[in-house]
Amino acid sequence: MKEQLEKIKKDFLKSLVEIKNVLQLEELEQRFFSRRSGELTQAMKNLKDLSVEARQEFGKLANEVKHELEEVFAKKKEEIKMSEMGDILEKETIDVTQPKLPAKEAGHLHPNTLVQNNLEDLFTSMGFMVLDGPELESEYYNFTTLNMPSDDPARDTQDTFYIKSHSDWVMRTQTSSMQVRALEKYGAPIRMVVPGRCFRNEATDAAHEHTFCQLEGLVVDKNISVSHLIGVMKELLRGVFKRDVETRLRPGHFQFVEPGFELDIKCLICGGVGCGACKHSGWIETMPCGLVHPKVLAYGGLDPKEWTGFAFGLGMTRLVMQRYCIDDIRHLQGGDLRFLKQF
Amino acid sequence: MLISFNWLKQYIDLPNSLTPEELALKLTMSTVEVEKIVKQGKDLDNIVVGLVKKVVKHPDADKLKVCIVNDGAQDWQVVCGGSNVKEGMKVAFGRIGAKVRWHGEGELVELAKAKIRGVESFGMICASTEIGLGDRFPLKDEKEILDLSFVVPAEAGIQKSNAMDSRLHGNDKIVGSPHLIGGQALSAVLGLDDIIFEIDNKSLSNRPDLWGHYGMAREVGALFNKKLVNYKIKDCKIGTGRDLSVRVEDKKLCPRYMAVAIEGIKVAPSPDWLQKKLLAVGLRPINNIVDITNYVMLDLGQPMHAFDKSKIKNQKSKITIVVRRAEGGERFVSLDGKEFELTPENLVISSNDKAIALAGVMGGRESGVEDETTAVIYESANFNAANVRRTSVKLGLRTDSSARFEKSLDPNNCELALRKALELTLELCPGAKIASKIIDVKDFHLQQGPIELPLEFLSKKIGLEIEKKQAVKILSDLDFEVKEKKDVLLVKIPTWRATKDISIAEDLVEEVARIYGYGNIPTSLPKFPIVPPPKNELRSLERRIKEILALEFSFSEVYNYSFVSPQLLERLGIDPADLIELDNPVAKDRPFLRRSLWPGLLENAEVNLHRFDAVRMFEIGRVFNSEVAGLRVSGNSDELLPGQPLYLGLVFAGKGVLTPFYELSAALTGVLDRLGCVVVLKPAIHELGKVIHRGRQAQILVNGEGVGAITEISPSFSERLGINERVVVAEVDLEKLLLVLKNSLRYQPLPVYPEVIRDIAFVVDKKVEHARIIFELKKVDRLIASVEIFDVYEGKNLPAGKKSLAYHITYRSDSKTLESAEVDAAHVRVGEVLKKKFGAETRTTIVKSVV
Repeated sequence: MKEQLEKIKKDFLKSLVEIKNVLQLEELEQRFFSRRSGELTQAMKNLKDLSVEARQEFGKLANEVKHELEEVFAKKKEEIKMSEMGDILEKETIDVTQPKLPAKEAGHLHPNTLVQNNLEDLFTSMGFMVLDGPELESEYYNFTTLNMPSDDPARDTQDTFYIKSHSDWVMRTQTSSMQVRALEKYGAPIRMVVPGRCFRNEATDAAHEHTFCQLEGLVVDKNISVSHLIGVMKELLRGVFKRDVETRLRPGHFQFVEPGFELDIKCLICGGVGCGACKHSGWIETMPCGLVHPKVLAYGGLDPKEWTGFAFGLGMTRLVMQRYCIDDIRHLQGGDLRFLKQF
Repeated sequence: MLISFNWLKQYIDLPNSLTPEELALKLTMSTVEVEKIVKQGKDLDNIVVGLVKKVVKHPDADKLKVCIVNDGAQDWQVVCGGSNVKEGMKVAFGRIGAKVRWHGEGELVELAKAKIRGVESFGMICASTEIGLGDRFPLKDEKEILDLSFVVPAEAGIQKSNAMDSRLHGNDKIVGSPHLIGGQALSAVLGLDDIIFEIDNKSLSNRPDLWGHYGMAREVGALFNKKLVNYKIKDCKIGTGRDLSVRVEDKKLCPRYMAVAIEGIKVAPSPDWLQKKLLAVGLRPINNIVDITNYVMLDLGQPMHAFDKSKIKNQKSKITIVVRRAEGGERFVSLDGKEFELTPENLVISSNDKAIALAGVMGGRESGVEDETTAVIYESANFNAANVRRTSVKLGLRTDSSARFEKSLDPNNCELALRKALELTLELCPGAKIASKIIDVKDFHLQQGPIELPLEFLSKKIGLEIEKKQAVKILSDLDFEVKEKKDVLLVKIPTWRATKDISIAEDLVEEVARIYGYGNIPTSLPKFPIVPPPKNELRSLERRIKEILALEFSFSEVYNYSFVSPQLLERLGIDPADLIELDNPVAKDRPFLRRSLWPGLLENAEVNLHRFDAVRMFEIGRVFNSEVAGLRVSGNSDELLPGQPLYLGLVFAGKGVLTPFYELSAALTGVLDRLGCVVVLKPAIHELGKVIHRGRQAQILVNGEGVGAITEISPSFSERLGINERVVVAEVDLEKLLLVLKNSLRYQPLPVYPEVIRDIAFVVDKKVEHARIIFELKKVDRLIASVEIFDVYEGKNLPAGKKSLAYHITYRSDSKTLESAEVDAAHVRVGEVLKKKFGAETRTTIVKSVV
């Protein structure tokens, strides 16, 4: 009996080595493990004819052999399967660089929306509320409350669109028109930004548009100073450009601020050496800003002795063009899908 | 405005080491923006004095000559078309490499060796207009080249800064020019050694005092700590004549009017020094009298005017100047020959009841100085800024004078200007004498303060402790008179800054801060309480919709103009009378304010269908509707602006898509579904005007409220736009939507018992709506958990006017597992209800699956 089991084991292991594929493996399984005619099965069946002692002795041995062979067999089976799967995977290779067909068309957001969303998120994170307002505005909010009374020459510099039969209505020339509306509605302290469309009556070319987007900012509180203005502008620009930018403040005259400034940033393209983008000055005029004029505060119903504030204007359209290196402003409102699908 | 460096140096002793760039930077950082620095004569490189040695006719061209020109070093053969070129002439010779403007037009072109009609030419004999000297040497004949034979060379080196000295060389060109030598650089010969600063006018709008060189020099002096030279004027012998009188009828519009008569004038060209000064800052010399008034304006910032005395006197040879408002309909012809009809809004200078000048804007043609003039009246006056501006804007007459008066000039300056003009006149016209008293009618009072400037206020505004001593010094340097009262400065404003510029303490803060240097102010951040800002719900809605449409439904966002053209409106059958109109549109092409977004989107579809098989676009923007109430025009007015609701507009068209409607209804219901609201589409609401396709339009109801519409455009209209595909548009009023928007999304417990899905297909009249079927089916049995359409068919095998519909019906109970018999019974009732309510003929009922 013992010899028989060892022979089976030897035969099994010998055959196993020669096995190359699943078919041969199945044959081997049949030969040794088949329930009816398997060599090992038969040997196990023969155990019952032995004496009780022999059955005990060889039974244990037979079981050991069986487990050992089954284990070796399982291992071999796994090996064969792996190698055969490898072949299948090889055959099933696809071109992963090819797109899914038919392609699903993608939708696109306008570049101005993308930039505006970023700015709104930035300002909201700094505690500013986001406001919107009428694009057709009264002269009162677009000019008068911004310390530009009728006949102020500053009105002239804005190339205003006027409305027929309503000489006191204009297309807003600046989002600053929301300063006093916001103060009237929310009072102080206030921190707000107003992104939106503005209009200037000028001929259109690659660099000029009669319709463009601005973002106005206003902060009113107690004890706001020029120092705060510069500090907040720097943080803001760091948020916009995602890096530290060097700034300089110089006088700029806007009726609704006093003192008023032009904030320039060091040219991001040439680093201040001078290039075409900065007209060889090394600086790019980026943001008009200033401390809110006491008259504007008074129009907004606030006591200028008690409250101070600063305001700033960001040329959103210019920022969009800088961000995406757009060389012709007319694309932004051209409605050409070849342009819009790039964003 | 242009400022001459040499002119500034006349009044202020700047260090020689100071470069123009440094001065420009300082001005930009502390006062006004210098946009450009132009070095005179920079385009005259390689243009030299040439001596014409020989002139012969060109062999092949009648109008051309072949000349030999010596440039001091050698002879050159040059082909020339000048009508006046002759042997022995001194000319402006452009060597090869020089830059010229052909016939005075277009861009600068660099000269190269050329062959002209077969003859080689090495350079060019230039006309004045070809080298930018047209104003200094006006052409008398189109073909004329610049003849330098009678030009006196300017002194070498820096031009004498004292005008008196330079004048010794003036006005005697004819004497000849022994010193003009071939080869001398033209820029040196002509004394073009000045440097011109281009100042941004916008940055000057609040500084009336900087509109002349003396005022600018004063500012530069403060910036560089240099003393301004006193403005010296020689005393003149004033006349005693009583022929001249002035009456000012409106002293508010004319706070000061000074006038004086001068006789014995000889009108002639100005001396070279004066012409050069004017030319340097871009003014064309006219004659000595006009040039004097212009010089004074550029020097002191005070516009002046000269009348020909003989043209404005009355029959008794007396002159009464009346400053008054114009009569309605009064006519006036300006110096440049334009005729105007005036209104009482315009202030005029009149004599003998005739307007002889538009106050502060321009003189009249009939009273102007001409070559024959022998006596003049000088006017040096002050006019109301707003009125001058209004007149010049209304009449479209913008002049150097009006630009200055608009800024609110200092009336005190009138006298200095007038005296300067007199001094110059007596010098330039040796025979002249002052024939009248100086008339001075004035009624003005300037608010010179003092303004109280508490040091604490100053420091708080700047955000930095400024020492009293420093503040006082800065203000004093700027000519403010400062008195100290404990910690308050009492600041008296100099007259030239008291007209408008400086009136409140904040203005003084700016003065101190800008001279202190904005770059020297340390930065800090304000402190705020930690509270979230109020949320802008409309903006959030807008943003979500944009993202869903773009990311989920493949729509691309567009920004269209707010303005529409009459052509587009006409093609779409929209009456422009319903639209708000611009008073002054850009080039008249888009004068109307959009009332809807879809017309613009249709234009987008048309353009893009040429390149794309399908166009899915949307816009979110404001539209303008005068029938809807908007915001108040001011806080305490009842007048309202037109409504400007925020709309969402969509357009879709695709090649071969015959019913594009569902693309938009799917996108819109999809978006609204994501926003958690219940949407119903209801047919037949005529919201979008004539262009609708009557059989393919729907009103959009959200929570029962109409918020917008979807419609296919009637093919007759889309074809008019050049769109050959079926096209559908939709519009939603987002402000209305926000009002009804309520996210009613709630969790539903997961079903405990299995559901049974049965399908039913049936044929009904085409007019039966899906929405009604759903509505009826849901009521048939409590076991019906949901009803879902999955097929619609029309056409072959069906009678005309019929359609076949197929639905999945899901049956479920919350309390037990359903038995087949129960479901069967309910499903039979479904068929019965469909037949009864809609005349439906059931085709099949199928057990689809049991879960």
